[in-house]
Amino acid sequence: MPLQRINNKKTIEQTDGKNVSFDTVKRLWMELSNKKGLLICVLLLVLINALLGIAGPFLIGKAIDQFIYEKVSSGLIPLLVGLASVYFFYSLTTFLQNYWMIGIAQETVFSMRKRLFEHFQSLPISFFDKRQHGELMSRVTNDMDNVSSTLNSSVIQVFSSVLTLLGTISVMVYLSPLLTLITLIIVPLMFYGMKWITKRTSKLFKKQQRYLGDLNGFIEETVSGQKIIKTFSQESYVMDEFLEKSTNLRKAGYWAQTYSGFIPKLMNMLNNLGFAIIAFAGGIFAIHDIVTIGVMVAFTEYARQFTRPLNDLANQFNTLLSAIAGAERVFDILDMNIEENDEADASDVNAFKGKVEFTNVSFSYEKDGNTITDANFLVSPGETVALVGPTGAGKSTIINLLSRFYEPNQGTITIDGISIQQMTRKSLRRAMGFVLQDVFLFEGTIRENIRYGRLNATDEEVIEAAKQANAHKFISRLPNGYDTMLSQDGSGISQGQKQLLSIARAILRDPSILILDEATSNIDTVTEIKIQEALQRLMKNRTTFVIAHRLNTIQHANQILVLQAGKIIEKGNHETLLTKRGFYFSLYNNGEKEVG
Amino acid sequence: MKVMSLIKPYRIAMIIAWILMLIELMVELVSPLLMAKIIDEGVLQADLHTVTVLGLVLIGISLLAFASGISNSYIAYYAGQNLGYDIRKNVYAKIQRLPFSSLNQFPTSSFITRLTNDVTQIQNVLFMSLRIALRSPLLIIFGTVMALFVHAKLALIFVVAIPLLVVFLIFIMRKGFVFFQSVQKKLDRVNSVMRENLIGIRLVKAFYNRSFEQNRFVTVNRNLKNTTMKTLRFIELTAPLLLLLMNFCIVLILWYGNREMSFGGAQAGEIVAIVNYGTRITNALSMLTFIIMAFSRAKASSDRINEVLQMEEEVDVEAQDSANATLKGAIEFKNVSFQYFEDHANAISNLSFSVQAGETVAILGATGSGKTSLFQLIPRLFEAKEGEVYIDNQDVRRFPAQVLRQQIGYVPQESFLFTGTIKENIAWGKREATMEEIEQAAQDAQIHDSIMQFPKQYDTIVGQKGVNLSGGQKQRLSIARALVRKPKILLLDDSTSALDLKTEQKLLEAIRGYDCTMLIITQKITTAQHADLILLLDEGELIAKGTHEELLSTSSLYQKIFQSQNREERKENATAANK
Repeated sequence: MPLQRINNKKTIEQTDGKNVSFDTVKRLWMELSNKKGLLICVLLLVLINALLGIAGPFLIGKAIDQFIYEKVSSGLIPLLVGLASVYFFYSLTTFLQNYWMIGIAQETVFSMRKRLFEHFQSLPISFFDKRQHGELMSRVTNDMDNVSSTLNSSVIQVFSSVLTLLGTISVMVYLSPLLTLITLIIVPLMFYGMKWITKRTSKLFKKQQRYLGDLNGFIEETVSGQKIIKTFSQESYVMDEFLEKSTNLRKAGYWAQTYSGFIPKLMNMLNNLGFAIIAFAGGIFAIHDIVTIGVMVAFTEYARQFTRPLNDLANQFNTLLSAIAGAERVFDILDMNIEENDEADASDVNAFKGKVEFTNVSFSYEKDGNTITDANFLVSPGETVALVGPTGAGKSTIINLLSRFYEPNQGTITIDGISIQQMTRKSLRRAMGFVLQDVFLFEGTIRENIRYGRLNATDEEVIEAAKQANAHKFISRLPNGYDTMLSQDGSGISQGQKQLLSIARAILRDPSILILDEATSNIDTVTEIKIQEALQRLMKNRTTFVIAHRLNTIQHANQILVLQAGKIIEKGNHETLLTKRGFYFSLYNNGEKEVG
Repeated sequence: MKVMSLIKPYRIAMIIAWILMLIELMVELVSPLLMAKIIDEGVLQADLHTVTVLGLVLIGISLLAFASGISNSYIAYYAGQNLGYDIRKNVYAKIQRLPFSSLNQFPTSSFITRLTNDVTQIQNVLFMSLRIALRSPLLIIFGTVMALFVHAKLALIFVVAIPLLVVFLIFIMRKGFVFFQSVQKKLDRVNSVMRENLIGIRLVKAFYNRSFEQNRFVTVNRNLKNTTMKTLRFIELTAPLLLLLMNFCIVLILWYGNREMSFGGAQAGEIVAIVNYGTRITNALSMLTFIIMAFSRAKASSDRINEVLQMEEEVDVEAQDSANATLKGAIEFKNVSFQYFEDHANAISNLSFSVQAGETVAILGATGSGKTSLFQLIPRLFEAKEGEVYIDNQDVRRFPAQVLRQQIGYVPQESFLFTGTIKENIAWGKREATMEEIEQAAQDAQIHDSIMQFPKQYDTIVGQKGVNLSGGQKQRLSIARALVRKPKILLLDDSTSALDLKTEQKLLEAIRGYDCTMLIITQKITTAQHADLILLLDEGELIAKGTHEELLSTSSLYQKIFQSQNREERKENATAANK
């Protein structure tokens, strides 16, 4: 009963239908052309480089004709100096074209990664709930890495190949149109062969990248949970599943590369075949005096030259295709709809009083039956509102709507009488402070983690906030105090201490609207009491929404909203709700103090 | 174990691939000769028969080259992909065998990069070396040898130049390796920031510190870009320099050749031939840059993988018959001290207590007092630095980890759930669990009713790390996951913090039906008071132990906690009674 296989299969099959798209190549090209100036320089250099590349052998030929066969020495030195300088400039242009191209390529990759990251930040929360972190990370690293290595070398390669190809064909046409035509017979064959293979491999390469992402996701999840795996001694189980995913990747990669590995070989054979055809036809023509023998010999040389660039291209095929597959996966994300942009007339709002009103608000998530139906309530500034109800009743949804993680389908939400849709998300969320269930600390010092609440806070303010959250004492006891580095999963400090930091963070933010989601569950009794005091202080003069998981903590709330199946079924304070003898009463008396 | 040793099984495949490649190369070298023959003997003599025969031969050997080329790439990819698979398998298996203490040695993101990106680099270089990498060195050697045959004196220039080239190449490769190591490190960082953001996306969005996050990412991303650029540019320096050197050799040969000719020391044809070889060698050289780049990158990657492969594994004992027996569940700590790192303060100091099988122990203490550390010593996730931990009167170090852990149900403070259905997450504790067992565990963990309220019930998908569940639900699911194994020892690390009293009581009552020793870390006196033994910890030291009644009379701290909680309780009851 392997975990997560079900959903992964689905995602893999979903996207398999598409073919390798010329669009992706075009878009990659567009990405590159952002650096137009440099790119033109590089292309010019490629041109010069190609010319110098031709000049070299030409001068050698001249030297041999004039100074080796003729055995004269005068004039040799100037020619050799000329040759040496051609070579010097050849090397120089080779270096410069690579140097700049690497710059262009890496800048492009940099900006694509950056955009990918920014896009992640703008995508709706629901996007992340469905996807594995490791899979998304794979796009930023593995897929982008493929793009990167291709851009570095392939662009120049493609250009110089095309140039050489054009040059050679013109000379060939000039020498003998008839033989050219015969030589070109193999071209359709080549393209047909390439197309045949590409059609098969592009799908396989996409599959390979997807399986790699899939594997990445699995690794991320299991390595994150490695301690649980060990504690439950489930090593062999995850190993089995790992091998299964790894086998998938191996298979896809294997076939993708074997198929595309055919291309250079095919080219080689066609190349030789073309050779034979020219020899054969040329021989006959020469015998019948249609072409001179000299032309024929020259032609075989050119036929060789003609196929070399094609061959070079073919050799790049693997990287090219996997890069395209990678780029496509990146574009897939970039094309996803973001949280809607702020409305055109949205304005920054500073300093809320904190009056919150929901009027006829209805909302449904796309698929889940998780809905809010016709929610109406009014919260005066500074009040504390507790949201109570069984799991799935819509408590978090109310908060999601208020903070505009989701937009209501109907109705309006106002703060201080202004619709939240007329505020920028930034200013709205700036006015809000969150203490969430899952304490999230990032890799950095304790100071930085607290300051995350308000980035421009001074050190004194950070310490003051820590004091108010009763975190100062334990922080000072750490060897490095506020400069203690927290590792990524926040290990090194206990769960309770993490909670204290997250409260300090919210205190520092000094929000007009505070959202508490099971903030105090993991703190020992002694600290919990202090925290309660600190929170009381913090909640004073602030509109506070408490997502209540334990009924005994919310009895002092000014207002309790009892939710069931997305509807607010009861409203009032603790006393009035108890006298009502309704749902809240039964919740309270049945001891169902843990709700959701 | 090292990456190199993993290549061994593919030796035969590699040799075959190289032979095939040689055949291909030979054909390539022979076909111009054949071509010349077609011209000289067929076309020039107007001999159509020769043209036909030799033409057919040419086509024949082309097909041969094609066949061996395809077989070569087939084998190359076979070896490459399998090697990649083997490396991944070994590294992943290694991670499974690492002790807890080593898991923090690298950040998760670095393990991930090593297992994917680094493996891909090595895999790429293996099939490259099977397909093309040998070509250019071979061409260079052949070319030089042939040139020596043609005219030793003239070709001496190559003999001087080529070792120089080799030295230069080695230098570049060494340097490039160091550069690429830092590229991979920077990639780790990108991965790491990315991962953090994905894990904390809710908070990131809620705090709307976009520019802050973007700056963090841009910094690591820019570092990666700059390092990559520096590295590639350095490596790309190779080709132009090599070309320059070789081309100058050709110029030199022309000049020297001309001088030799005037003394009659060389034939015109010889010089032409040597120049010819010179240009061929030069062409082969330009391919080398690419190869060097791949090799030094692969070297950097394989070093990173070796780093993991050579980490010390968890010390485990061989399964002995005696140790295989089912545990009873008696636990004893004898003067146990423990610290996470050498230079850190003790997380636990000189701790002693003992529990009979089937008893319940409650552990109380402030944040950071060593409760979790104590727990982790029991399944031997960490080992005591001093003193011994006994289970059923046997040192835990004498149990094979699997035997020990399989009979322990551990519910950590942070409920870590995996992507998959609820059913799968519970069955995670016991693979072969039947649906009845799963439901029973869920019922005992007091989560069954909530599950049944979900539209898809036990088939509800739990998002990564349980994002779509509330804290209380996650806790109870991870309790169910421990209960389904019917453990002999149950460790609950503050796992009931999000449960209300009544649910908690029901849960504890259900657990009483299990034949197991239970240790529970808790903040609530009400939970602790029914325990057979209560341990009160402070900064790693055991400051009081006994039953609820004993502690009430002996421990002032316990009294204080009791009173503060009792007061609250009474207040609560009073308000309820008022109604």
